[in-house]
Amino acid sequence: MWRGVWRELCRRRLIRACLWVIAAFTLVAVYGEVVYRYYQAVDRTPSYQQVNLSERYLPPSFLRHPFESVRQAAGESAFRRVWRGFGNLAYRPWGTDNLGRDVLQRTVQGARIAFLVGVVTSLIAIPIGMILGCVAGYFGRWVDEGIVWLYSTMESIPGLLFILAISMVVGKGLLGVYMGIGLTTWVGLCRLLRAEVMKHRDRSYVMAARSLGYGNGRIIFRHILPNVFHIVIITFSIRFPAAIGTEVFMSFLGIGVQGEPSWGIMIGNARLRLWQGMWWELTAVTVVILAVVLAFNLVGDALRDALDPRSRERES
Amino acid sequence: MIPFIIRRVLTMIPIILGVILITFLLFNVVGGSPASMALGKNASPQALEEFDEQRGFNKPAVLGWWTSTRALPETRFAEGLTLSAGTNFPIKMLFPLQPDTVYRLRCGISRMAGSVSWIPASGVTAVSPAHDSAELIFRTGAKGTAMPVTLFVQHGTLDVRSLLLSRRMPHWYDSQLVHYFKLLARFDLGTSLATNEKVTTMLKRGIGPSLALTIPIFFGGLVLSVGLALVCAYWRNRWVDRVLVITAVALMSVNYLVWIIFGQFFMAYKLKWFPIWGFEAWSYLLLPVIIGIISGLGSNLRFYRTVLLDELYKDYVRTAYAKGLGPTAVLFKHVLPNALIPIVTNTALALPFLYTGSLLLESFFGVPGLGGLSVNAINSSDVDVVRGVVLVGAILYVVASLLTDLCYAMVDPRVKLK
Repeated sequence: MWRGVWRELCRRRLIRACLWVIAAFTLVAVYGEVVYRYYQAVDRTPSYQQVNLSERYLPPSFLRHPFESVRQAAGESAFRRVWRGFGNLAYRPWGTDNLGRDVLQRTVQGARIAFLVGVVTSLIAIPIGMILGCVAGYFGRWVDEGIVWLYSTMESIPGLLFILAISMVVGKGLLGVYMGIGLTTWVGLCRLLRAEVMKHRDRSYVMAARSLGYGNGRIIFRHILPNVFHIVIITFSIRFPAAIGTEVFMSFLGIGVQGEPSWGIMIGNARLRLWQGMWWELTAVTVVILAVVLAFNLVGDALRDALDPRSRERES
Repeated sequence: MIPFIIRRVLTMIPIILGVILITFLLFNVVGGSPASMALGKNASPQALEEFDEQRGFNKPAVLGWWTSTRALPETRFAEGLTLSAGTNFPIKMLFPLQPDTVYRLRCGISRMAGSVSWIPASGVTAVSPAHDSAELIFRTGAKGTAMPVTLFVQHGTLDVRSLLLSRRMPHWYDSQLVHYFKLLARFDLGTSLATNEKVTTMLKRGIGPSLALTIPIFFGGLVLSVGLALVCAYWRNRWVDRVLVITAVALMSVNYLVWIIFGQFFMAYKLKWFPIWGFEAWSYLLLPVIIGIISGLGSNLRFYRTVLLDELYKDYVRTAYAKGLGPTAVLFKHVLPNALIPIVTNTALALPFLYTGSLLLESFFGVPGLGGLSVNAINSSDVDVVRGVVLVGAILYVVASLLTDLCYAMVDPRVKLK
């Protein structure tokens, strides 16, 4: 089944492009993590945090170096000329901010944080939602009532405020972001899985497993869960960009990441400098966020179409 | 009908209790000391204790006789403090204890055996390795006491490990949780740490501007997105539909912050179409309302389109076509009324969230509503304000879902059977 879904996704050119964007995002995030670890290991100020007052407000390199600068000088070899042009373009390619810090490097670090937030909050929220949803749907009765009570309570609290309040209580910083987003966003998955597991509970394959004397845990997680797992996958692809958006928002408000270049912090910084004509930092972050989130949204849609039999009927 | 209503109202009670418990857990149990947040790190222990006393934070969290006090910070001696026979060990309080109150001083002792007596209180406590603590329970005089309590070692040597002073409450149920319920029963949401104002007053003041912003966004967005969804459904799988869907996904993917920044910078500052900041006339609300509608349009349009398309592939639609109705008649007479059920649910459940306002729009455009209020409160760790907003928002949500369900039960007989 999964191979068929993968083929289905790869068949469409747009979705293939989106998958490439997601792969690139992952690679950049891993690269950012490596750079971050390196600077931690050697215990130096990272180059993306280095204040360089002589290079403030440098525009992106393709604006700084118009084509004349890479035109052939007298007696210059063709190789040298290409090399010089490349060097010109690769130096602060996306410009610098108001403290002379490299925008490209900071964007890479922002990608690292966004990726971490997406993964870690999913690792918190998806197991909670999965276990509670399956257990509630399978056992029914008072277990179900307890879990339904828990999630109806959680969902009646205004979402964003709840996230912000949790992170305020946990403390400003990445941990607060993880906790705030992770502990509140399992409700949707839990509700969907509960309803789906309820439908499967009395099907014949479950009856067969039960009559073979299998334990409840085995039936839930080995027999029912694989049959409803597409819901988990779809939820993951939807909540990942949502978590990124929330992190940007929180960091922008100053409740999220502290002292590291997150996308939210970059937007907050760029917003104030926009009035002084520094448009490139905001543009860079906006375009990157747009690309990543759009890719996730489109892949999420395609996944839902491929996995949800109801929507497949609609297409035909 | 009446039994259904009663049953439905009864299910509301545990959820409201749950919300109260979660806010309590979040802000009173997990959260750090509000006193040190409000008074700063350098406040004296006495000032902190007085602050807690005023707001009831120095009571036990849930239930219990004993509660901690700041008069003697809990002390642990890492390598132990060895006292030999005949030594006095004075234990100094940081500020005078409350008058006429029972205190318990528990002294953790390890390793060696001996016996101790306490001054001022009399009585000899024998300490053996099995019995590893010496306790003193004493009542302070009418004026309170600042004098040190002394531990006198009568014989043997002792290794003091820890000291812990606790205060006895007048009742075992005199706790923060009960205090919280008492406050709520009086509709008192506490006072703001920053401005010392009643939270209820602040909420009342902020609700007007918030609604002035969110109601136009909500209804504008609703009309626009349902209209566009109808367009999509009418020309489904044609280019109009495709373009609209792709635009919706693209709109969804642009970060909310970016809409606000671009709107404020270009449309207000550069082009001067709108005022930039403030809350003086209706024109100040135009730009935030437009931004709010646009940023919510993508996801709403997709949701309503899915709802409409789900209906379009049902059997009754085929019947309607078969009896010779045109696409317009089918869409508006048959599909739309049926699709209204999920649309109305979605709408009704979104209504209570209008009250919290829009966190970002309000702080960006200087609308003095609840959204800006809560952002400021969160930034300054103003616990009572955040708790008040969260609590009222949750209760409104519960009430709104109750009303929605009741409306359904009236309209749709299938609901009652469930």
